[in-house]
Amino acid sequence: MGAEHTSVPRWGTERPAPDPSARALLLVGFGARGCAITTAWAADVPAGRAVEVLAADDADEAVLAVLTARIAGARVGWRLMLAGPEADVLAARAVALRAGVLDAEIRCAVTSTERKRVYCPHCRTTTATTAPVAGETPCDGCGRRLHVYAHVSRRAGAYLGFMADAEEVA
Amino acid sequence: MTATLPARTAARTGVLVLAVAAVADDVPGIRTLTLRRSEGGPLPAYPAGSHLVMDCGDRRNAYSLTGDGSPAEEYRVSVLLCPDGDGGSAFVHRLAVGDVVTASRPRSAFAPVSTARHHLLVAGGIGITPMLSHARAAVRWKRSFELLYGHRPGAGAHLDELRDLCGDRLAAYGSTPEMLAAVRAALADRPLGTHVYVCGPAPLIAFVEETAAELGWPAERVHAERFSAADLDPGEPFTARLARSGTRVPVPSGTSLLSALEEAGVAVPNLCRQGVCGECRVPVRSGRPLHRDLYLSEAERAAGDAVMCCVSRSVDDELELDL
Repeated sequence: MGAEHTSVPRWGTERPAPDPSARALLLVGFGARGCAITTAWAADVPAGRAVEVLAADDADEAVLAVLTARIAGARVGWRLMLAGPEADVLAARAVALRAGVLDAEIRCAVTSTERKRVYCPHCRTTTATTAPVAGETPCDGCGRRLHVYAHVSRRAGAYLGFMADAEEVA
Repeated sequence: MTATLPARTAARTGVLVLAVAAVADDVPGIRTLTLRRSEGGPLPAYPAGSHLVMDCGDRRNAYSLTGDGSPAEEYRVSVLLCPDGDGGSAFVHRLAVGDVVTASRPRSAFAPVSTARHHLLVAGGIGITPMLSHARAAVRWKRSFELLYGHRPGAGAHLDELRDLCGDRLAAYGSTPEMLAAVRAALADRPLGTHVYVCGPAPLIAFVEETAAELGWPAERVHAERFSAADLDPGEPFTARLARSGTRVPVPSGTSLLSALEEAGVAVPNLCRQGVCGECRVPVRSGRPLHRDLYLSEAERAAGDAVMCCVSRSVDDELELDL
């Protein structure tokens, strides 16, 4: 796959700023570095906007449930800002995208890309790993050796894995 | 493709030959045509908000289909008579039952967004026609929607059928200030996931776009259908260089790039010839296009690698096309 066309996000080196056209914002920070960024964002939001800041260790079910509830109650003009490790940002972004939030309404700052979530299409389990793209990781669900492919699903917020030795004669 | 073919041939495949089955003038100045295939039979289905490009004498005009888009044997269009127009609407208003017209197949450029949580439809005057299609489709497919309709007092096209169709989801206004206040109130408080669609006079579209932006709506949630491009100036002369043949085609002031290409024997598919439909897009290799169409997005304009040759021209003296 040509690098030009990969779906692996390129986060850019500049941290985004709050959208000046936002009327209400939810800032979600993951980990200490992510929360430092959301604190800085909160200070940058122009006066008169409703701002809520959430702090979490990682994108666990509890924080994703809060995110889902906030989206359900939001009005157009609302913006989501996510800061933290890529795995958590992708997981939270996936929840938002599935709920109908647009890319134009989400801004992300990624503090590290070491951790990944890898989706196994053979057993449909998502595995946490620190393997690099094109590396391998065992699947938590079925134990297959997964090749970490240079494809990120926006909807699942995870890298695609596939059976590394599928073509080899057993 | 050969140079001897008339340039329009490429776009003429799939032409519909339609007979006028009924004519209704329920509101003064607005004529509703019911069209059926001359030989009978089903017509192509279409996404809500689609239009036909109809041959109107020496003009080709785009008219919105007002049905819900599901397969049917009839199309309906409603056309406002524009006495100062270029004659397309006058042609329609001269049609009688039994007359035969030719038109393109339905073209979709204003479809509802399938992932929207709620559809806010805003119509001004005859701009109700694509919104009637949207409302019918929304009812049929049980989508959440509302329609704000501003019209001249006593001249609300389709008002009775809209009341039956929409019930309390319709708010109709005979006064512009009331209409604009209602639009602003709606844009100020709608669930995230709402998309707004507007069709009507240019000032209404501008009001919706500006108010939405002011209230924090990203442009991706705002959809506008314009009647036509504004009157355009004749433009500066330039030269089109055709990269594949090396031909140079001069484009004088007052002649469109599309016409110049056609005169040079280059067939370019085209339909509306007024910067709306998107059919005549040609790829640009070098030179800066002067975009004057209503079709390309801001990002596409900025990329500068395509030009709608019916209305757009060139900033530079020479524009190199991938033709």
